[in-house]
Amino acid sequence: MTRFPGEDYIGRVEIFFHFDPLLALATLIASREVFFSFILAVVTIGLTFVLGRVVCGWICPLGAVHQFFSFIFKKSKLLLPKKRDPGPLAWKYYLLIFILAGSLFTLDLVGILDPLSLLYRSFAVSLLPVLSHVSTAFVSLLYQVNLSSLGDIIVQFFGKLAINATFRQGFFIGILFVGLVLLNIKRERYWCRYLCPLGALLGFISRWNVLKLKIDPKKCIECHLCSIHCQTEASPFPEEEWKSSECDYCFTCSAICPTSAIGFLPKASPEGVPQVNFSRRRLISTALFGVIAVPFFRFSPSSKRTSPKLIRPPGSLPEETFLQKCIRCGECMKACPTNGLQPALSEAGPEGIWTPILIPTIGYCEYYCSLCSQVCPTGAIKELTVAEKLQVTIGTAWVDKNRCIPYNLGTPCIVCEEHCPTSPKAIKLVKTEVKQPDGTIKTPAGPVIDLDLCIGCGICENKCPVVDAPAIYVTSVGESRSEKNQLLLDLLKPGEDF
Amino acid sequence: MKRRDFIKDVTIGGFLFSFNPSLLAEANGPPDLTLVQGESPAQITKEAISLLGGMQRFVSKGDVVLVKPNIGWDRTPEQAACTNPEVVAALVTLCLESGAKEVKVMDNPCNPARRTYARSGISAAAKKAGANVLLPNNHRLKKISLKGEWLKEWEVYTDFVEADKVINAPIAKTHSLSRLTLGMKNWLGAIGGNRNQLHQKIDQAMIDLSAFFKPCLTVLDGYRILIRNGPQGGRLSDTELHQTVVAGIDYVAVDSLGATFFGLGPQDLRFLQLAKQKGYGESDLEQLKIEKRKI
Repeated sequence: MTRFPGEDYIGRVEIFFHFDPLLALATLIASREVFFSFILAVVTIGLTFVLGRVVCGWICPLGAVHQFFSFIFKKSKLLLPKKRDPGPLAWKYYLLIFILAGSLFTLDLVGILDPLSLLYRSFAVSLLPVLSHVSTAFVSLLYQVNLSSLGDIIVQFFGKLAINATFRQGFFIGILFVGLVLLNIKRERYWCRYLCPLGALLGFISRWNVLKLKIDPKKCIECHLCSIHCQTEASPFPEEEWKSSECDYCFTCSAICPTSAIGFLPKASPEGVPQVNFSRRRLISTALFGVIAVPFFRFSPSSKRTSPKLIRPPGSLPEETFLQKCIRCGECMKACPTNGLQPALSEAGPEGIWTPILIPTIGYCEYYCSLCSQVCPTGAIKELTVAEKLQVTIGTAWVDKNRCIPYNLGTPCIVCEEHCPTSPKAIKLVKTEVKQPDGTIKTPAGPVIDLDLCIGCGICENKCPVVDAPAIYVTSVGESRSEKNQLLLDLLKPGEDF
Repeated sequence: MKRRDFIKDVTIGGFLFSFNPSLLAEANGPPDLTLVQGESPAQITKEAISLLGGMQRFVSKGDVVLVKPNIGWDRTPEQAACTNPEVVAALVTLCLESGAKEVKVMDNPCNPARRTYARSGISAAAKKAGANVLLPNNHRLKKISLKGEWLKEWEVYTDFVEADKVINAPIAKTHSLSRLTLGMKNWLGAIGGNRNQLHQKIDQAMIDLSAFFKPCLTVLDGYRILIRNGPQGGRLSDTELHQTVVAGIDYVAVDSLGATFFGLGPQDLRFLQLAKQKGYGESDLEQLKIEKRKI
C-alpha cells in the first residue's frame, strides 16, 4: 500500500500494476509507446497460458473482495445459487473489445474498468478515507471519555498509514464500488463473471491452457451441485460443456462434489473447446461502437482551450499523451502528502474523468516532493527526482486584489509570501495605497507575483486566510508541459524591451 | 522590624557595598543571558546551559519536559529554516541527565509534519537522544483561555499545557512581517486553528502567546541563521554561519540579544517594545548581565 513515510523516495509501490496485461496492452496501443515496466505482465500471461485463469481465482485482489462478499451473501441467504441460471457471460468480452477499439484511436478508458485500477482507486479515494473518518470519530469519543492514551495509540497507527481523507468524488466512486459489491447478491462474483475486462482478456488466453477439468463418469451422480456452486459459471457439468475460459480454478466444484468425481488434470487441448457464445454481429458492432465513442468523448471544449483548473501533477506529460497513459488508479492521489491531488470531474473533458488534478484549496504541491511522479505506474507522470521536480512549473498564481486583505483593508497580511517556497520568493511585498472607508489612505505591503519565479504550487492559495474563495489562486497557464498554455512568448524576457 | 535589627542590617549592607559591586553580583548567581560561540552546535548548547547554572536549575527529577524547536518547514538543516537538530538533541540529553522522566519534542509545522520532522533532521536526532518525538495530534487541540490582550482564547495543543516544564528552542531567522522570528514567534507553532489570521496583528499575537506559554528556558539557535528570504529560505546563500547559541530565562532578553545577529535592536522590533511595555521582560541589553564565551 502506498503510504508516505516522510522520506523523499518511496520505492516501487506501484509494481503490482505492471503484472496486469490489460493495462499493459491498452496503454501500449493507446500511447503507441512501450513502457518497459509492463514487461512483468508477461508473467501473468504465461501463467494463464499454462494454468488458466488462476490469477482471477487466487491472486486478483478485487476477485478476493467479490469472493468474500459472495460468501457472506450466500451464508446470509441473500444469494441462492440456482440450478440453471445462464447469465450474460459475453458482456465482459464486449467491454474488452470496446476498450481496445478505443485504444486503437488513442482513447484510453481502460483504467475505469480495469480491476486493479478500479480497486486501488476505490480504496484510495473512498474506502480508506471512510476508515480514516471512522477512526477519527472513534478517537474523539475516546478523548471525551478520558481514554486519551488509547486514542493516542490509534492516532499514531493511522498517522503511520498517512491516509488522505478528503476527496471530492469519494462519495461517487465509493457508491460505484459498493454497487459492484452488491451485485454479488444477484450472482456469485458478478463482476468477475460478466464485467471484468481483464478476466475477458485472460479468458481469451486461457483457451489453450493445459489444466483441464475431468469428471469421473463412474462416480458422478449427476447432482449438478458443481454447476450450481460454480463461482464463475464455467458449468463443470457436463464435462463437455465446461468452459476453460471462464473457470478461475477455485476448485469449489471438486470440493463440493459429494462423490469426489471431479479433478483437474493436465491435458492437451482437444478441438472445439466449449466457448462463451458471442454473436459475431455483436462483436463487430461493439468494436464499431468503441470507435464511434472516441469523438464522443472528445468534442468537449477542453481539447480546444485548457481549463484554468486543469493543474496536473508535476512531471505530467503533455495533455494528449497524458490521457493516453493515465489509468486513473489513484496512486498519485494516495501518495500526495497534502491530499491536493484529486480525481477530475469535467476539467479534462469526459475522457479525463478521474485523472489527477491539483486542487490547491484542498492541498498544494509540496516543493521538495516528487512522490506522485514516482508512484505513477504508466509514466503518465514522468518519474522525477526531487532536483528535477524543482524545475517544473505546473501553473501560475494570481492575486485577486478585490479580495486580498492588504489591498482592501489596509491591514498587513503576508501569509502567501511567507509560505512561497521558491528562493528568491515568487511573491514580493510591495507598498500600496489603499483607500479606507473614511477616505483616508493607508500604505500596507501587498503581494505582487513575479511570474518568472512562480511555479504554481498553490501553497499561497491553500494558506490564504480569505478562506472561502482565496484572494490568491493558481491557474494552469504557464505549465511547463504545454506549448500552448503559455502566457508570454519566450522571445523576450519579461521586463526587457523591444 | 526592631530598631536593633535595622541598624544591624544597614551596617552589614554598608560594609558589603563598600567592596567592588561585582563581588555582590557574583554572589547573586548566574547571568541573565549566556552567549556561546563555537564549532559544534551541541557543545555550545551545553556550554550555554552550564554557564546559566546547568539544566538542574530548570528541570527537576521526574519532570515531563516538552522541548519546542522550530520545525516549521520542509527544509534541511543547511537551509537554516528549522532549529539545528544537534541543538535539540543536546537539550534532550541535558534534560534526561537532569532526571526528567520524559522529554517530548513537538511542533506544528506549516508543511506536512511528517516531512518536516524527517527533512529537518530533528526527528532522528531527538529520537536518538532519547526523546519522544510527537507529531501534532489534532485531537489534543483544545480551546483555552489565553488571557492575552488581543488573543482571548485559541486552540492550543494540550501537550504544552500538560508538560511540567516547557523549553523553547527557536532558530533565528528573518520574517517579512515581524522582521525577525526568534523565541516569541516560535509559539505560533504550539497552537492550531486558523493561524494565518494572526498575521493581521502578529506582534500582539506573539507577546500574548509567549506570556501564556512562559517557557522555563529559551535556547536560541544561531548556529546557522537565515538572513534573507525568511522564514523558509531555500538557497544556501540565504543563510549565514553564525555558530552561536543564546540561552536565558527572560525570553524578551533572549530575543533582544538574538536581534543583534541581524544588526537590529528593540527600536526596530515592535514585539520587543510591546513585551517590555507589558513587563514581560527586559529588552535593553545594557540592563542585562550577559556572559559570553568562545569554545
